[in-house]
Amino acid sequence: MIKKFAWGAFAAAVAFSFVTPQTASAQSAQDLINDGSDPTSILTYGMGYGQTRHSAMNAINLDNVSRLRPEWTYSLADSRGQETFPMIHDGKMYVTTHAATMALDLATGMQVWKTIVEYPAETPRVACCGIVNRGVALYEGKVFRTTLDAHVVALDAATGAEVWRTKSIDFKDGYSMTVAPLIADGVLITGISGGEYGIRGYIEGYDPNTGERLWRTYTIPAPGEPGSETWKDGGDAWKRGGGPAWLTGSYDAELNTVYWGTGNPSSWNAGLRPGDNLYASSILALDPKTGAMKWHYQTTPNDPFDYDTTNELVHAEIDGRKVIMQANRNGFFYILDRETGELVAAPKFIDKVNWADSIDLTTGRPVETEVATKARAGEEVNYWPSALGGKNWSPMAYNPNTNTVFANTNVIGMNYKAVEPQYRPGVFYFGAEFSWDWPEGDRGELRAFDPVTGELKWKDGVAIPRYSGVLSTDGGLVFTGNMTGDFEAFNAETGEKVWSYNTGSGIVGQPVTWERDGKQYVTIANGVGAVYTLFSGDERLASVPTGGNIWTFSVVE
Amino acid sequence: MIARTARILCAMLVLFGAPVFADDAAIFKKAESTYKMFCAHCHGPKMVNPGTSSFDLRKWPKDNKEGFATSVLKGKGDMPAWGDILLPEELDLLWHYVKTRAGKEPEPFDSSQAVPPPQKDTPIEQAKAQLKTPGTLTACLAKNGGVMSSRRATGGAGMDYEVAAALAAELDMPLDVRWFESEQEEESTPIREIYALLAYEVCDIVPGFALYETSLSAFYQTRAALPRWDTKPDHLGMEFQVDLEPISVTDPYARMEMGVVYRTADLDRSIEKIADMEGLKIGVEQGTLAGVLTLRQGTEAMALDAVTLNPGPDFLWEMEQGSFDAALVTVGAYDFHKKQNFISTLALDEYRHPLGFNISVAMLGRKKAMRDVFDPAIARMIEDGTLQDLADKSQYTYAKPRQPWVQAHLTMQTIISMR
Repeated sequence: MIKKFAWGAFAAAVAFSFVTPQTASAQSAQDLINDGSDPTSILTYGMGYGQTRHSAMNAINLDNVSRLRPEWTYSLADSRGQETFPMIHDGKMYVTTHAATMALDLATGMQVWKTIVEYPAETPRVACCGIVNRGVALYEGKVFRTTLDAHVVALDAATGAEVWRTKSIDFKDGYSMTVAPLIADGVLITGISGGEYGIRGYIEGYDPNTGERLWRTYTIPAPGEPGSETWKDGGDAWKRGGGPAWLTGSYDAELNTVYWGTGNPSSWNAGLRPGDNLYASSILALDPKTGAMKWHYQTTPNDPFDYDTTNELVHAEIDGRKVIMQANRNGFFYILDRETGELVAAPKFIDKVNWADSIDLTTGRPVETEVATKARAGEEVNYWPSALGGKNWSPMAYNPNTNTVFANTNVIGMNYKAVEPQYRPGVFYFGAEFSWDWPEGDRGELRAFDPVTGELKWKDGVAIPRYSGVLSTDGGLVFTGNMTGDFEAFNAETGEKVWSYNTGSGIVGQPVTWERDGKQYVTIANGVGAVYTLFSGDERLASVPTGGNIWTFSVVE
Repeated sequence: MIARTARILCAMLVLFGAPVFADDAAIFKKAESTYKMFCAHCHGPKMVNPGTSSFDLRKWPKDNKEGFATSVLKGKGDMPAWGDILLPEELDLLWHYVKTRAGKEPEPFDSSQAVPPPQKDTPIEQAKAQLKTPGTLTACLAKNGGVMSSRRATGGAGMDYEVAAALAAELDMPLDVRWFESEQEEESTPIREIYALLAYEVCDIVPGFALYETSLSAFYQTRAALPRWDTKPDHLGMEFQVDLEPISVTDPYARMEMGVVYRTADLDRSIEKIADMEGLKIGVEQGTLAGVLTLRQGTEAMALDAVTLNPGPDFLWEMEQGSFDAALVTVGAYDFHKKQNFISTLALDEYRHPLGFNISVAMLGRKKAMRDVFDPAIARMIEDGTLQDLADKSQYTYAKPRQPWVQAHLTMQTIISMR
């Protein structure tokens, strides 16, 4: 109880500080840097530039979580998968679907404004893995988002009126955008999707005031550019070389560096693009003002397996060293020095990985098995983890106090054979025949593990894998959602499920926690859909209806 | 190009009923990879999905190809339209995949597939084996077809007649013609009559077959009456109905177009659209497509001042006599008028309305081996100018076929917007 009042006082103080020097809806670069320290707002994707998704709030805790109940719900009026990351500022929550951007009253969940996103009806063709949007960025009174047809849009945070709209590229060539933008050093940064459509990936910087594009850094170099030597034997393959950048990067303000992951090289047929294929399946360190590359680290050179390296790059300090951490699709957990890109550790974070034995910490390269060799040679192979990855996009949480990662992982393999790809603009460019190799039992596990050693602390298996984000709190809780609709809380130490509530549709959203008037809330979007639902054909989901809502919970007395 | 053209036509025909593929395993493999490329990521591997986020295709009725095609090409609900990107043969492969339930169930019974395919070696041998009268190619031609076909004391004349003769020559055979005449019955349409002529095997081929969506789907009206033809037996009365069969068509060899005819003194402008005729006294051929287009796409002033007349040869004669100054008509009608009135003062402007119909040769679906001979021949005759020469000989203003080969079903929307 005492703690709660303390938070309230702090919140009030912060609220006042907003009112005085700036307009009520402004949020400065400094606010963004400080995000995570102020529980009354959520200004950055992942709850802080370091995307730890860990909150120091503990008003909701092991003692009272059983009394967690819905406070309000808001219908997204949409039947697609809902992956939006809710942002909070100045009494409003900002959420998205592929089809609209909305501002909600934080107290009641009532809609303040809703701005429809118009895009051509053909656009969903180029969205491989779900008609989704992952949320907004907030900066100086504006709300920024991307659209499925590859536009970047700025709205007035107060009214929802469009301020500017810039076309990034023609979606008909296979490009799309689902990413929540990032504001870093006053630049609006976005990444492109379309790794399965023969695109040439890129990351872009825009002027948040005007929508003018400031830079575009291709993730696949043209001949003569640095890195092009890793494509030189592939002919024109680089032109359709993939390397999308479809998840939001993180930002270190002190180093003034943005960290952004890139997706698989394309087509999947690695034999047609001999070489490492930089900068696909890589982690890039960029200068936010220019897009210039400071360093790069490639996780899966000459990737044949669709091992995107787009997953979130979580900041941590390990033995006094600033690092980024990533649970890669390929089954290894990468820890890199944030300043130099040097590999610090790369344990396996799931049980079954058969394409590589380990990552060589000296060379930074995988020690591959014959599965990888055979796959490149065009032989039929069974590889683990599948293209869905040891972990897919759904973001993990990291509790720095206990040095524990909480991540939703997959237990799925794949039967795979590379074939000659057929390129046609806007159509799948796989270059591989594949089918899933389902395990006998659980297809998913929520795993708690040590990032440096990969040592498992606990796991919670689930028949249908979870594709929701994870949230960790100092209340000793880990929140996530499952595909059949349960919003769940686990004991962070033991993995015991301590609470769950069925929301009526499957959850693939991102949980957040926040505070208002001294009270802690937890919010998640439900709405089943997206990559697993679409690709798996899992008929056990037949009784899980679609339809998205924003659910906000609090503890009842 | 030729192969592509043939494929597209094959595809259209599979869609509308004619069997094309022989090798089931090969088709299935293609169908499967097409499904994976376009559909699997929403409709699930092997069409297995929960049916919540996307439609469960296992529930799609096996007899509703047309609905399937519409949903795929134009989109439905959350599904995007694929019409501008999907190749026609891919649509057919997808339908094959869906109707066989991802290859798990046999294809629904189709009587035309029960006929064993011919075992002859070369395309010509296979084609010859399918003729109704061995050693002769028999064509049905309209007796009163203007510059396209007309009967002569010996043989015939007109573009369609010449094409039929050229195709017979490809088979190294004489041409025999059955001259038919539409019955103009209420329930009869020229298209159904052609289906009936083919199904009753009055002839092997019917040239002059206009390619539009409905003309290829008339098969679904399962019975139709026969028109009259020159050697029609007396016992086949008007009430006699023929069970229809799927048909097949060759690549188109010409295009039926509409143009603006004017009196040589009166055209003081260049015409780029129908509305450009404003200010001229306009003639409207009642109840024809050209007439509808004139009224729908012309200006209000034009319509108010227009002279509306019954269709037929008299229409252009009225213009010759000064009843009006200009009109949109089919180019063939103008050709026929010129042919019959060689001192005519009418002229045909260069403008052509974008809406037109490609003309091909129809045959029974199970006799499609002929197509393997005719398609390359048609392509060659377009290329080397033979068809242009035959048209000149027939006094027919020749237009080459244009994509799309098959005109989609005409809606009021098309009629208003296609200008």
